[in-house]
Amino acid sequence: MTGALAGVRVLDLADQQGAFAGKLLAGLGADVVLVEPPEGSPLRSIPPFWQGVEDPERSLFFWFYNAGKRGITLDWRRPEGAERLRRLAARADVVIETEPPGTLAALGLRALNPRLVIASITPFGQTGPYRAWRASDTVAQAMGGMMFVNGHRDGPPLRALGLQAYHQAGILAAVGVVSALLARDTTGRGQDVDVSLQAAVAGALEHVPGLWHQMGLVASRQGTLHWTRYFRVGRCRDGWVMHCTLGDWTSLVEWMKADGMGAELDDPGLEDIKTRQAEADRLFAALDAWAARYTVEELVEGAQLRRIPYAAVRPPEALLRDPHLAERGFFVPIEHPDLGLTVPYPGAPFRLADAPWRVARPPRLGEHNDEVLG
Amino acid sequence: MRPLDGIRVLDFTWVVAGPVTTRILADLGADVIKVERRGSLDFGDRRGGLSGTLMRGKRSVLLDLNDPRGLDIARRLAAVSDVVIDNFSARVMTNLGLDYDALVQLRLDIICVRMTGFGLTGPDRDHVSYGPTLQALTGYTLLMAEPDGPPAGFGYSYSDLAGGNLGALAVLAAIWHRRRTGRGQLVDLAQLETVASVLGPVLLDRALHGGASVPAGNASQEAPGAPHGVYPCAGEERWLAITVFTDAEWERFAGAVGGAAWTRDARFATRAGRVRHAAELDRHVAEWTRGRQAEEAMALLQRAGVAAGLVANAEDLCARDPQLAARGHFVEVPTPEGRTVRIDGPPFVLSETPAAVSGPGPLLGEHADEVLSGLLGMGAEEIAALRAAGVLG
Repeated sequence: MTGALAGVRVLDLADQQGAFAGKLLAGLGADVVLVEPPEGSPLRSIPPFWQGVEDPERSLFFWFYNAGKRGITLDWRRPEGAERLRRLAARADVVIETEPPGTLAALGLRALNPRLVIASITPFGQTGPYRAWRASDTVAQAMGGMMFVNGHRDGPPLRALGLQAYHQAGILAAVGVVSALLARDTTGRGQDVDVSLQAAVAGALEHVPGLWHQMGLVASRQGTLHWTRYFRVGRCRDGWVMHCTLGDWTSLVEWMKADGMGAELDDPGLEDIKTRQAEADRLFAALDAWAARYTVEELVEGAQLRRIPYAAVRPPEALLRDPHLAERGFFVPIEHPDLGLTVPYPGAPFRLADAPWRVARPPRLGEHNDEVLG
Repeated sequence: MRPLDGIRVLDFTWVVAGPVTTRILADLGADVIKVERRGSLDFGDRRGGLSGTLMRGKRSVLLDLNDPRGLDIARRLAAVSDVVIDNFSARVMTNLGLDYDALVQLRLDIICVRMTGFGLTGPDRDHVSYGPTLQALTGYTLLMAEPDGPPAGFGYSYSDLAGGNLGALAVLAAIWHRRRTGRGQLVDLAQLETVASVLGPVLLDRALHGGASVPAGNASQEAPGAPHGVYPCAGEERWLAITVFTDAEWERFAGAVGGAAWTRDARFATRAGRVRHAAELDRHVAEWTRGRQAEEAMALLQRAGVAAGLVANAEDLCARDPQLAARGHFVEVPTPEGRTVRIDGPPFVLSETPAAVSGPGPLLGEHADEVLSGLLGMGAEEIAALRAAGVLG
């Protein structure tokens, strides 16, 4: 079996702002060729490095975003390199780029190949008053409305874990690319996919714009209390747990009563989820008092048996030892022969039964120059 | 034209993650038919706002799937659909007889997307989850916090958006695959895995180097740099995000803030020095921002070529941001009742076959008659009888 996008040829000129798009397309089976300047992609100098040794072949940051791509070196900012890039683009289906608006258009790739899909990922998009403005992942998270609602009431807004502006932009660029390829089946022509980091973040919000449109409400930070007021972090004997007052409420109260607690929650009015939402503070205080007698594992196991969506609050590394993910084979061991190392890469974000996700080693600098440029 | 013209999606999804997937498909031109039931979570006005943003451009049919006649209608609709999608826990569609093995009997090239919390296999496959619990399991809740601080995490279900947008990619890839091979397939999307897939390099770091992840506040995750974070500005709850990585960016920053004495401090002259003394640097930057309007400081720094951005609240985002407005990110949509509602539009632009909002959110069961007559050829009497029997809403 081959991947869903087998046979699709992608040239990836993106820096870290757009690297996730090519990673997703490579996972789907496209032939993604990372085009690096002769000195190497800027991602190769971003830590962490394998064993802390700074080296272009040892950046875990580069590895994560470029697993499954082939790699060539080509200085397309100089005339000779630009000519080679044009020749490659003439045979490609997709180009992904993160240059300031207008820069790539000057190369005239579209005129050479009218079927080409060009995906551009920039801080604010190709149009509009801020199109030339700059952003980091954090600045894009801020301007897209993600940060304001993350954090404690009395603390500052907090950025997400992971580069979520870049990741959302990468996902939407991949969505746009496959959409454009589908449209090309009908029109015979490629098109431009214009992705703004800011808009990608704004498109990955939940309540923030909706409640403003609906009732002019400005959502605020409220710590771990979810905006719906059905979830909040609480403390067990040995760690943090995510409480949930959705699910089988009756069973939850029965369980507490069996422990001789929760009398104040034995109230038929609370069977209505709207009441539980309104009285969230009182509910979570009672749940905290009760949860303190359990370990996180005991509480989550008991809740899941009753179909109450509780979960442990864990560090990301807990995933590496998660028996569920192990049985599903989420992490895929990939050899890095030069380093004598096997690396467990996070694998498929979703599984197409008839078109498996592809995980492979990231390219060494210029590794595929001969086969691609030769 | 739009890229998914002619594609029909039978949509059993609810809450947020699944509707995010199918709203993108609707924006791309697919005919999305929501199969709804009574008693789902209620976010208020179904036309606009939060619900309308989730359900924009979809049609709605209210069916009692516990009644064999309701289930029969669902099966007949599946037989004339390209994609069937749900986000229940794993056993629900199997118990209803609407899983892939059943659907493929109805249509050989069906694309069946199961957006569960934990996937269709594995020991936790029957566990129940929502976005916040998946974020807790994958590290976001614990690590989005100030250094040494208690967990804060996302104030909302980001996991639903990550899973929803990746779900749209999965459907598009499966449609492309079917065009090339003629084959449909089962898509197993575990939201635990979609949200784990966007964690980034941290998993490689922990796998290879061990150690324990600790919260790092607003420190940079893409390269060492300082100043990096959010700084309080004049007024209540006004903050500016600023990012400086390179020495060239630092010089531009120093120029923009007027070459204050602290910007000439030798400890801040190099990137390594700025990162080492980030806490002290942050205090100076905050002193500078505190007396300024966030919008003015942002414009001043951006004009100098420094990445700076307002920490936008809902009003900044929806009512004041000139960039999103210029790009038409939020749209006004007329409703059949003669109202106009505001909702979010598609967050990406296709130059030739643009995605676009097809309409407002549907009322519950609004399109039952046109769907049953138009797609299944049912007559008015038959539809009325089903409605009288409570099978159809």
